[in-house]
Amino acid sequence: MELLVANHGSYPRIGDSPGQQRLRRAYGQHERGEITSKEFDAIQTSVIQEIVQEQAEAGLDLVTDGQIRWYDPISHFTGQLDGIKINGLLRFFDTNFYIRQPVVVDQVVWKGPVLVEEFRSAQAVSPKPVKVVVTGPYTLGRFSILESTRYRDLPELVSAYTEALTKEVEALAAAGATLIQLDEPSILQHPGDAGLAKVALTRIASRKGRARLLLATYFGDAAPLYEALQAFPVDALGFDFTYSRELGDLIARLGSDKAIAFGLIDGRNTRMDRTEEILPILRRALPNVKGSPSYLTSSCGLEYLPRDKAQLKLKKMAAVRAEFAGRG
Amino acid sequence: MSRAKLKDLGIDLPIFPTSTVGSFPKPDYLVEARAKFAKAKIDRKELEELERQATAFWIKVQEEIGLDVLVDGEMYRGDMVAYFSELMPGFEQSGLVRSYGNRYYHKPIIVGEVQWPGPMTIGWWRYAQGLTKRPVKGMLTGPYTVMDWSFNEYYPDRRSACLALARAIRREVEVLLEAGAKIIQIDEPALSVRLEELPFAIEAMHLVTDGLPAYFIIHACYGAFDAIYSQMLKLPVHNLDLAISHSTLNLMAMFRRDPFTKDLSLGVLDVHSHQVETPETVRSRIEKALKLLPKESIWIDPDCGLKTRTVEEARGKLVNMLAAVKALRAESAVN
Repeated sequence: MELLVANHGSYPRIGDSPGQQRLRRAYGQHERGEITSKEFDAIQTSVIQEIVQEQAEAGLDLVTDGQIRWYDPISHFTGQLDGIKINGLLRFFDTNFYIRQPVVVDQVVWKGPVLVEEFRSAQAVSPKPVKVVVTGPYTLGRFSILESTRYRDLPELVSAYTEALTKEVEALAAAGATLIQLDEPSILQHPGDAGLAKVALTRIASRKGRARLLLATYFGDAAPLYEALQAFPVDALGFDFTYSRELGDLIARLGSDKAIAFGLIDGRNTRMDRTEEILPILRRALPNVKGSPSYLTSSCGLEYLPRDKAQLKLKKMAAVRAEFAGRG
Repeated sequence: MSRAKLKDLGIDLPIFPTSTVGSFPKPDYLVEARAKFAKAKIDRKELEELERQATAFWIKVQEEIGLDVLVDGEMYRGDMVAYFSELMPGFEQSGLVRSYGNRYYHKPIIVGEVQWPGPMTIGWWRYAQGLTKRPVKGMLTGPYTVMDWSFNEYYPDRRSACLALARAIRREVEVLLEAGAKIIQIDEPALSVRLEELPFAIEAMHLVTDGLPAYFIIHACYGAFDAIYSQMLKLPVHNLDLAISHSTLNLMAMFRRDPFTKDLSLGVLDVHSHQVETPETVRSRIEKALKLLPKESIWIDPDCGLKTRTVEEARGKLVNMLAAVKALRAESAVN
């Protein structure tokens, strides 16, 4: 029952100091044509290096590139596929964050790896292993507008996204990614579609090679789906504990064949989480988790917080794990 | 039907009362002045002078167009939550958080007990009402939306934060009524984001409105309207302002199941479109609603605040809205 400390996914790309705002300035300069794409890319890379370092210094075992190059979790991957146009803004769940909505206008075709270079360049500057995060096919389907008649309905569109993501995951595993997280927050809003998501993930899992697959759910209570998710062909299940009071007890009672990513640090609120509230949940649940390693993480990506608070949350995760290990 | 309530308050409105949701575009001189103020190049007095000038401009425009219930246009506000959180004790501003693309904002943090700091909107309401004989609405952001759009480090949960905000906002309603306001609009665009929280959002609205002598309007964007419709009827207000005119929902079936018991402000203008709707388009949207509701319970307005449109677009849209309403009123008088 090893417990690693892992960043969830996204991370605030700017802070309040002038130096931490260089990406915001460069973004504007790039839009106005004052700097080249190459110069903009170099600034993005330097920010990734900075935040990877920030995560390592906070004591994390697994870091992410913070999705610094992503416009948002939906259009980043879909925008690189043939058959997709990117439309206007749409609110992302109950956050104050907005994504650009993909419009499916023709056959969806994967043209080549979208995330492999991002993974390689982040790993090259990171002292810790980099976890790759990609939004899953069901959530991509839910946020898309289906205009093309090639796909009759959501299941057919999810199947098309699944084919693209299967190739992406295969390429990531071949590039050396050891842990790939598939984000499927939408499944909690539509639990009746769990079967559809399971079929999709089964196809993706068949090509994952030696990489571990982590299915991350958030922005909802996963307790009603807990037993169904145990039958998914993934190595680990990730949960947002801020929406569910009973999840810890459920894991303790039913156990888990899969490793668990314990999203016990609130990624949506600046209030600092209390060690004394988190430790009892870990102590009750983790002994009944067979899969290993498990992860201590935030409830969702940390980009919903200001940078200074996100950094404190990372340090909190490491401190909770230290306390857990010390007395475990 | 709440015409009796309006009569009790001494307000006589024509059939299909017209109004707007609250914000108007800021004239260029005010946008420039706000930027200068942010860089400390002008002082607050200079800024306020221009805010008053812009408020007077919009009162005149609304009168010229012929709107029945006016607004101050929110020339003094940047953001509908930040305006109040910057005035109320208990809040701090956070570091920057991204909303999309390269857009970032300071999200308020509740760090202590939220308190009513004394009048927050009375000065502007009095100024605007002093410029016109038509009723000017008191405009407040609702407790659920202020809570949802803030971080909470102080209250044990979202419900307690929401109810504390409701108590503070009620004080503002009370002073607006003392100052002479009779119609109060509470803006709750976040209302439908978490369906399971609707019961305490309604509880909060009771704290804001119960026992107070005013005609209350709640403005909410419709979101998952079909899922929450029957519960929304429990909101203790007289008028639901909903952006449902473009909706593809089967309102007829919903209204048959749970009859609509309030007045409805029908959002007939798309504030996110540059296109100025024709009077015919507006008319067809009103006629759609007339199949569902008695004409006495329908108010007409845009579907949200007009602040993202240009001054010309906002004016053009409202002129055509009034043209459609006046034609319908004339026909209604004949019939």
